[in-house]
Amino acid sequence: MSTWSDLKHNPRLKKIFDQRIKIVRLIREFFWSQGFVEAETPLALRFASQEPYLHFFPVMVTHATGDEYRFYLRTSPEFALKKLLAAGWNKVFEIGKCFRNHEDFGGTHNPEFTMIEWYRAPGTYQNFMDDMEELFKFVGKELLIETLRYKDKEIKVNQTWERMSMKEVWEKYVGVDLDNNLTIEQLSNTARGRGYSVGNKDSYEDIFFKIFLNEIESHLGIERPMFLYDYPAQMASLSRLCHHDPRYAERVECYIGGLEICNGFGELTDSDEQKRRLEVDRAVRHQLGKETWPVDEDFIAALKSGIPANLSFQPERSPVPYGTGRGVAEKSRLAKTSRDPSAALGMTDKAAGIALGVDRMILLFTGARDINEVIFQSVNDQLTINN
Amino acid sequence: MSTTSDIRKGAVIKHNNNLYVVVEFQHVNPGKGAAFTRTRMKDLASGKVIEITYKSGESVEIVEVQFQTMQYLYQTEGRYAFMNMNNYEQIEMDADSIGDDAKYLKEGLDVVVGLYEGRPVSIQLPKKVQYKVVEAPPAVRGDSAAGNVTKEIALDNGLKIQAPIFIKEGEEVLVNTETGEYSARA
Repeated sequence: MSTWSDLKHNPRLKKIFDQRIKIVRLIREFFWSQGFVEAETPLALRFASQEPYLHFFPVMVTHATGDEYRFYLRTSPEFALKKLLAAGWNKVFEIGKCFRNHEDFGGTHNPEFTMIEWYRAPGTYQNFMDDMEELFKFVGKELLIETLRYKDKEIKVNQTWERMSMKEVWEKYVGVDLDNNLTIEQLSNTARGRGYSVGNKDSYEDIFFKIFLNEIESHLGIERPMFLYDYPAQMASLSRLCHHDPRYAERVECYIGGLEICNGFGELTDSDEQKRRLEVDRAVRHQLGKETWPVDEDFIAALKSGIPANLSFQPERSPVPYGTGRGVAEKSRLAKTSRDPSAALGMTDKAAGIALGVDRMILLFTGARDINEVIFQSVNDQLTINN
Repeated sequence: MSTTSDIRKGAVIKHNNNLYVVVEFQHVNPGKGAAFTRTRMKDLASGKVIEITYKSGESVEIVEVQFQTMQYLYQTEGRYAFMNMNNYEQIEMDADSIGDDAKYLKEGLDVVVGLYEGRPVSIQLPKKVQYKVVEAPPAVRGDSAAGNVTKEIALDNGLKIQAPIFIKEGEEVLVNTETGEYSARA
């Protein structure tokens, strides 16, 4: 609960809301100080993205003449921000509301939530992992908060964050070589062998997450925050395939105390491949009986025009040196699994971007019990307030 | 066969031939993918809590549980007694099955008891419960200036909570049973 009355009478909730105000301000300060610019892009979109499993809020837009147009509230500002990269911006961020329907009203979800996305063109996924780690350390330092809290877990923010590939976590927690489980047949066998039921309609991704959510996810980011990178190519979404192994894709998520707080990509900038994937997603939406709309051709055109728009822009090294210093073992592992971020701009370092759930970030910094405690008048509050 | 959409707090699930009562559940959409239902549940035999995540829509074996409003009577030697006010039948539950909720119980409080084959397996408290304040130290001049906007008060069932300094002995207050915090004057 976080209604005006809760904020007035409950000092703990009041403090959480005060911290929220400070954190949002510090996020802006951090990105401006790192040379990013803040953009504003539309909440209501004529051609929204195509994620098969997300539920969009439709909104009707009516002209003075009475002509009506069906728009959708954004689930993320992704397409719009990439269009700005195509227009010539190199480092851009947006902090604002996103909307996903058919979610829980509580726990770690609210249908209306605050997200920050930032993009670098050129850039690599190593760059934004660095950005994110620096951002959390900066906010922690400014607020004098050393410990992130989620449920009964406490995680020190100011240590070197862990970085592991999906292949490594499968080996560590499931004892299985993911290289040999990249087809639906192989993975089905593995799942059945471990006692899972596998249905005919289950996709590779479904089976993958059954094992991942039951056996791996709760271990992630317990000792220290953790980036998990290089997902099987089946789950590439809007990411490009890995340079070192095209069976995997440059997708990254970050876990803190078992809570997933962001999703980022080494961005796919190939317009034909992007269009193909979006058409596939649209077909899946259709199959699932969900509302469909055409792929945003303007987005495809933006990719086609080239990202980054200005190729003379030089890629950056890690912007700020770490206070703690990255472990040698980790450094050598990173060197093996990724390109050197300071390498000259190649065909595969064109753009990288990431979306971070701000409400969840605030939950971690304040130790709130539930997402409803960090959001003023959450959907749940509004539904219960006058009852 | 039931599916994950039938999972509720207090539902009893048969999993690998063991019976579990659902303590908590949550929907998760990993990486914008298909939905899953994460379920924390307690083994009815051993009391051990496990976490299982199902694909949403997957079939699960939910055994029938009867939910019955009952009135809390008293507690003796770690046994908690409740009465069905329709037929005056009485049941008892042990401290383990009630867990942390025990501290919110007070004589005459209506709770919803989940019964599996007549055996009580869970209770659900009202979201807010009204108590009488039995102890509230008077506010001291300078409290607000010192930043003390709350004080500890004791309620008629022995529960102690933090409340705003204006609350006085003899008043009735509402407590949020999910967080254990002061909610409002009743």
